[in-house]
Amino acid sequence: MLKTEGQHWIRSLRIRWISFYLAGITATALAIALLLSVTGFYLLHLPAWIITIIFPLVLAILLFCKPVWKTTDLDVSRFVNNHYPELEESADLLLQNETELSMLQQLQRNKIENIIPNLVQPKEPFKRLSIGLAILLAALIISFGITKIPQLNQTASASRTAKSPIHSIKENIPAEISTFSATIIPPAYTGKGERKQKQFTITAETGATVNWKITTNIGIKKLTLIFNDHEITPLRALNAAHTEWNFSKTINKPGFYQLNLDGKKSDLYQIEVIPDLPVTIKITQPKPHTTIDIGQPQKFNLNVSLTDDYGINDAFISATMASGKGEGVSFTEKKLSFNTAFDNKKSITLTKLIDLKSLGMKPGDELYFFIKAMDNHGQPSRSDVYFVSIVDTAELMSLAGMTNGVNLVPEYFRSERQIIIDTEKLLKEQATLPAATFKTRSNDLGIDQKLLRLRYGQFLGEENETEIGGDHEEHDEHAEHKSGEEKFGDVSAITDKYAHKHDIAEDATFFEPEMKAQLKAVLTEMWNAELRLRTYKPQEALPYEYKALRLLKDLQQKSRAYVAKTTVKVSALKPEKRLSGELDKITQPVQKMAFEQKEKRTAYLKTALALLEKRKIGKNFNEQDRFLLGETEKYMIGAAADQPATYLTALTSLRKLGVASKPMLRDIDVVQQAIQKMIHIELAKPQPQSAGPASVLYQDYFNNLNKAGR
Amino acid sequence: MEFKYIAILAGLLLLAFLLYKELHRANRARLIWRILANIVALSCFVLLIVPVRYKTHLKQNPDEIILLTRGTNADSIAKLKGKKYALASATIQNEKSATLSDLSYFLKSNPKIRKLNIYGYGLSKADLENIKGYQVNFHPSVNPNGIIAAHWPAKLKTSDALNVQGTYQNTGNQPVKLVFKGLGKPVDSTTVEAGTNKSFSFKTYPKQTGKAIYELISLQKNDTLAKEPVPVEVNDQAPMKVLILASFPDFEYKFLKNWLYENQYPLAFRSQISKNKFASDFLNMDSVNLNQVNAGLLKKFDILIIDEEELAAISPVERSSIALAVDNGMGLLIRITGSKPLTTLSGKSTRFEIPPLKGKTLNLTLAEDHFRFSPLPLEQGLFLRPNQNEQSIVTDASGKTVLSSNISGYGKISISSISSTYNWILSGEKTDYATYWSKLLASAARKRNDIQSVNIIPQFPVVNQRMRIITDLSVADKSPALKIDGVQLHPRQNMELPFQWDALYWPQNSGWANLQVNQTIGQLYIYEKNDWRALKYQQTLNDTHQFIKDLIKNDTKIKLADTVITEEISIWWFFTGFLLAAAFLWYEARILAV
Repeated sequence: MLKTEGQHWIRSLRIRWISFYLAGITATALAIALLLSVTGFYLLHLPAWIITIIFPLVLAILLFCKPVWKTTDLDVSRFVNNHYPELEESADLLLQNETELSMLQQLQRNKIENIIPNLVQPKEPFKRLSIGLAILLAALIISFGITKIPQLNQTASASRTAKSPIHSIKENIPAEISTFSATIIPPAYTGKGERKQKQFTITAETGATVNWKITTNIGIKKLTLIFNDHEITPLRALNAAHTEWNFSKTINKPGFYQLNLDGKKSDLYQIEVIPDLPVTIKITQPKPHTTIDIGQPQKFNLNVSLTDDYGINDAFISATMASGKGEGVSFTEKKLSFNTAFDNKKSITLTKLIDLKSLGMKPGDELYFFIKAMDNHGQPSRSDVYFVSIVDTAELMSLAGMTNGVNLVPEYFRSERQIIIDTEKLLKEQATLPAATFKTRSNDLGIDQKLLRLRYGQFLGEENETEIGGDHEEHDEHAEHKSGEEKFGDVSAITDKYAHKHDIAEDATFFEPEMKAQLKAVLTEMWNAELRLRTYKPQEALPYEYKALRLLKDLQQKSRAYVAKTTVKVSALKPEKRLSGELDKITQPVQKMAFEQKEKRTAYLKTALALLEKRKIGKNFNEQDRFLLGETEKYMIGAAADQPATYLTALTSLRKLGVASKPMLRDIDVVQQAIQKMIHIELAKPQPQSAGPASVLYQDYFNNLNKAGR
Repeated sequence: MEFKYIAILAGLLLLAFLLYKELHRANRARLIWRILANIVALSCFVLLIVPVRYKTHLKQNPDEIILLTRGTNADSIAKLKGKKYALASATIQNEKSATLSDLSYFLKSNPKIRKLNIYGYGLSKADLENIKGYQVNFHPSVNPNGIIAAHWPAKLKTSDALNVQGTYQNTGNQPVKLVFKGLGKPVDSTTVEAGTNKSFSFKTYPKQTGKAIYELISLQKNDTLAKEPVPVEVNDQAPMKVLILASFPDFEYKFLKNWLYENQYPLAFRSQISKNKFASDFLNMDSVNLNQVNAGLLKKFDILIIDEEELAAISPVERSSIALAVDNGMGLLIRITGSKPLTTLSGKSTRFEIPPLKGKTLNLTLAEDHFRFSPLPLEQGLFLRPNQNEQSIVTDASGKTVLSSNISGYGKISISSISSTYNWILSGEKTDYATYWSKLLASAARKRNDIQSVNIIPQFPVVNQRMRIITDLSVADKSPALKIDGVQLHPRQNMELPFQWDALYWPQNSGWANLQVNQTIGQLYIYEKNDWRALKYQQTLNDTHQFIKDLIKNDTKIKLADTVITEEISIWWFFTGFLLAAAFLWYEARILAV
């Protein structure tokens, strides 16, 4: 059946419609797939071929959602009807069989047939296609952006840590390998992006995943990696030709590895591990031991600085309060938080005002606290324990210890305790007293304080009224008096005349220097208190008074030796019976041991050093030497597994030496250095001195000398 | 009668006979001439048989030569006139000079030469012997640049330090860096400023067991000036045997015991548990009877450590056997705690007590090498005052002695007032503890007598040059079997010291050589010809200078001694005379007379 022109037009429109739509959908699917796979590849480290799965999947879903191919001519005619009023809603007529149409329909159809070819092609399919392409373009831009994210991360972290670039080490790479790369993906806690390097020497953070990609230029049956000389892991071939290889491993320990290409072993490459350090805690305030005196505010400022290599997760103060005395001591523990967000910062300075009163501490209580911090890897660390104690006034004021001692202070002296009581009383009455009376009473107290100070000053041997800014006027008088009766030639008298002699205050008493120092401290406090009292500031004088009292109490305690009375009765000794027991049944214990040096390591290594020295001058290794070299190599493998950076080159050199026909001085040097490092420090051992051969002549000489000496 | 008189007599007889014949000849022409010819011929004939000698004094200006030795500067001798002779060792270019292979031979064959002008570094001691009696002028070259003196112990015991000391003479105008290198790495270095002499001292602890060659390298910027080998041998030694007698066990003994035990020293430990009852430990050794201290027991040990209480508690017989053992070489270490000596053995050094300062730590120092130990938490009040026979070994920070040692016979008695050194171990200072006790035991213990000792002359034996090996044996009058690398040597006995033997050897190869004396094999290093060059040059310089000095002292004698030599007239003169006279006679008879 010949198709009419109109029918043809509609059909072509349909085909165009479907194909444009399909193209649009494909573009959209491609865009989505691209986005997904780029994310997967760069951020989740999935293999690149994942796009081949994602794309059909997305396409299928999209097509399923919008089955565009199901579009029929009828649908198209409906669309045309809607779109072109010229067609007068009768485009479907074109699709119907001409013979089945009524007269009117035929007429209409003929009319449209003429109109249709002249119609402008609808823009709808184009729109679809352009939308799809736009999405694809956007996806392309976005995915390009995603590919840059790791680099951005890296640059960010690089700028943060000022990380030195991986210095390239010259490596010997087997000839079969055309290209290779190692991708190091640091663990999440480091916050570092992955990095790709073109060298086998690896420096990775603890827990990092390393992914090797090796391309060989010829097909290799088996490619294995040998870790630390004993752990053999085969690589997976990615293609049939056996030229693409891939391997991933999580690195937790340092060590070294080598490639084994069909039995051909490569050089040794080192794996270094950057460990994650715990948080370092530095308490700048307060001091390890702090005493809060009376009058001082019962709070203190805590200043802490925390630093970590990757980030701090959490920190808190663990405080323990001890209250009570003797057996009645009770402890309460509290966890105080800093109330700040840590946000994985690398270093943070924290301050907290700790109010002891709000913690429920009373005078006489003590606070022990330490700071515990966690880094973002979950490693805990804690600081030293700090002490803060509040002085107990009640204890100071108690008469225990004062009542039963010999009181050296005469009655007319007010004790420091009394001065404190009076000062407190004065302060209490301050409101009711007239200003003049208050001042006189304060001044009186100051005088009392002075008397007391002078009294204690006598203990120290201070002869002047006051030591601080003391005067020397009297002494000049002394000198004048004495000048009359002067003997001729009395040297000491003449020197006395010109010298300014004192009793040395320090030596006048029999106190220990330590006690003297404390007494001096008491006097200083008393002087300070006196100053405040005399200037009518009893409130300010109070802390000094308390401190003086506390120091005095300490002094009293120090000079006292306490011996408890005992009432044990011992039966009288019989001297004749002492040390006369029978001992014949007592066996004499004899112990015999021989120390076995289990470890031959040091001995082997020391001999190996001399062996290498021999090799330097050109001697060849024999069987025994080779055994020794083998042993040395074993020890060095062990050492290299722990510290590849130090021992790996030496191990390579040692292996080279074993097969080389000529002595290679540089390699020997490297191995010798490494062996010396492995031996560690040797402790001194007593070695008897040696003397020359003892000939009879010398002995005779010695004997004769001995005789002559007698 | 001598032959010459017979000859003269025979000649005279012959002459008389000839004259008689002449006078009775028929032809009397030219008679006088013939007689004269006869006399001349005969006298010449006689003188042919009897040589004529005469004595002459030497000429006022004797022959002198210029002798060029090693290190001669070619420019400085270019202007000199006179005969120049160069020793084979002197390498002089662009200069005409005869080469002397043997100086003494040359001098003997040229007796006229009385004066030598020596240029360069001078002559070796052996050559100087040969020019005794000559007039010598020495024009030394500038001092050699390099190490001019060096010394180090060639043999070490395990854990001993290797001390290399010497002097570097830098005559150049640039500083020189001296690097001491060994076992693959530089150990130490020093810089010698331009135009100075500098003493250096490098210290290291060799870690190898066996032989090794360290190197002293002198560098000027990047140029290596010299590389001198420093051969060293480290060997293990049989450990010393220790006996400890304790009045009661304490921590000091316990830690010392453990330390010695872990270091594999044979140790016997006895501590009293009751009257005549002892607990004894035998570590790394077989058990012996320790109940009674006697000479036989003490002979087995190198050192006895005892506290003063125990020394006072044992019987006088035991004490005297200890004193005797010390006189025979055993070491004795007495630990004292009281200020009053309890026995005569421990009372040899005076003690004094000062009240200890509270809370002060004890900072000990090794008196000999100024090694500072880390502080001990002790309040030391007891000190020793060493008299002139005593050596103070360990002192505190202010120089008061806490450990002294004096000699008694062959052995040594050390007295220690330090009560607890184990605090070092408790605080982890193992090095200090080991150093302290190593020093203490090593200085006190019985000295080990070598079976023989070997000395080499010169200090640096060089390949293809003569060296002298001197061995001291403990047994006299028995020729030792000497072998170097399998070559049997035949030693000669010293005339005065019967136990000393020496032998000469010319080594063929450089490097380590095995020197076997009887059954023991030692190691010997033969140097290359160019090793330690500066040192050798300086030595010849010094030797020659010394020689000249001695010469000036004896100069007057030489001048007085008349140098008279006997000359002989050549017989060819007489032969000619005889021939001419005889020819005349013959000619006259045959031709003129006819």
